[in-house]
Amino acid sequence: MKHTRRLRWLLMMIITLPLLTSCGYNTMVGLEETVGAQWAQVENVYQRRADLIPNLVETVKGYASHEKETLEGVIEARSKATSVNISADNLNEQSFAQFQSAQQGLTGALSKLMVVMERYPDLKANQNFMDLQAQLEGSENRITVERQKFNDAVKNYNTKIRSFPQVIYAGWFGFEKKPFFKADEGADKVPQVKF
Amino acid sequence: MIMLHKLLLFILLFSVYTSSAQSIPDKTNPPRLVNDFAGILKSSEVEALENYLVKFNNETSTQVVVVTVTSLDGTDASDYTFKLGEKWGVGQKGKNNGIVILIKPKYNTDKGHAFIATGYGIEGAVPDAIASQIVDNDMIPHFKKGDYFGGISAAVNTITQLTKGEYTADEYVKKHKKTGGYVQLIVFVVFAIIILIAKSGRGSRTYSSSGSSLPLWLLLGGMASGSRHHGNFGNFSSGSGGFGGFGGGSFGGGGAGGSW
Repeated sequence: MKHTRRLRWLLMMIITLPLLTSCGYNTMVGLEETVGAQWAQVENVYQRRADLIPNLVETVKGYASHEKETLEGVIEARSKATSVNISADNLNEQSFAQFQSAQQGLTGALSKLMVVMERYPDLKANQNFMDLQAQLEGSENRITVERQKFNDAVKNYNTKIRSFPQVIYAGWFGFEKKPFFKADEGADKVPQVKF
Repeated sequence: MIMLHKLLLFILLFSVYTSSAQSIPDKTNPPRLVNDFAGILKSSEVEALENYLVKFNNETSTQVVVVTVTSLDGTDASDYTFKLGEKWGVGQKGKNNGIVILIKPKYNTDKGHAFIATGYGIEGAVPDAIASQIVDNDMIPHFKKGDYFGGISAAVNTITQLTKGEYTADEYVKKHKKTGGYVQLIVFVVFAIIILIAKSGRGSRTYSSSGSSLPLWLLLGGMASGSRHHGNFGNFSSGSGGFGGFGGGSFGGGGAGGSW
């Protein structure tokens, strides 16, 4: 009895050991790390956008103080967006959707603000505002780029863990499919910051 | 036979798929820093810009690429420029000090677009707000008059001024060579002294092999990594005549653009 159990263990060891070393365990770890690093980049660029907003709101206030409602909408959306943070280990469909919808709310509020700004020619000619506008556009561009890179990293990882032979044992070690960015419904357009 | 057919079909489909997915032009062979695909510059102007930028690349390792295209194929100028920079690998790997200046000229009713994309490593030297001002002040006023060379050279001038201090390949090499040499020399001398002491030491005290073999490995490791460094940095100086090629830099969405 004891002997057979030991034998079975030994057999399993013999079978799994080469799998671990040669059949992609390390590759899976590497790919997962890449996803994590890229996720940090994504959070980074969203944070960068959030950091621009207080300055933007201050500048706009000076010219368009009675657009209170729109400005408050932006501030509120910002605080909502910055309150949702997910660590890379915690990336699942649900937390991911939460993150995406919070950020999307901010995108929407910002584009509303930009439409309102059309009515203030003095503001549009302000150098400080023009710089902020360039930075905001840059932030949106960075978000697009980092999201793409994140999706690529997730695609590589998901492909690896779901292909043979990794698909058999990836689950044993807790390698699970990771979610990726889908185009935001109707709001994927970068806020039109045209003046 | 059937297998072969399937394979051929697969290859055909695959090539169609990849060519339709990538509207970004391939880099020329040999690679050049000034790529006037739209044909808006005179050949003497291209040469002048190319020489200036190659020299700048050799001095600073920062790669400034000028690309003109006739069409953006429906994509945003920003997206197009980032993808081009990423695909060509403009800038050095690790430093990511590449800049792509893209110009799509104005054709009758078709708007003109200009975009400056900055690699990760350049975002500090040329922030988005500055890139936006370069486009608005240096480029578009010239472009509106049809003076493409004037606009491009004004922008190139400003950008090279701004990035000059950021990366200096030669100084970097020098600094590393010096410290590397001294450290290796000191380690070697210390190691030699230890061996001498150990050899002349009395038998009662065992300077065991494990004690002295560790520094030996460290020393070997240090020498190996030192020589690897030299090899790497040597790449920059080797291409003093022409342009040595792109370094594999990466882009993260920095930069700004405009249209007219």
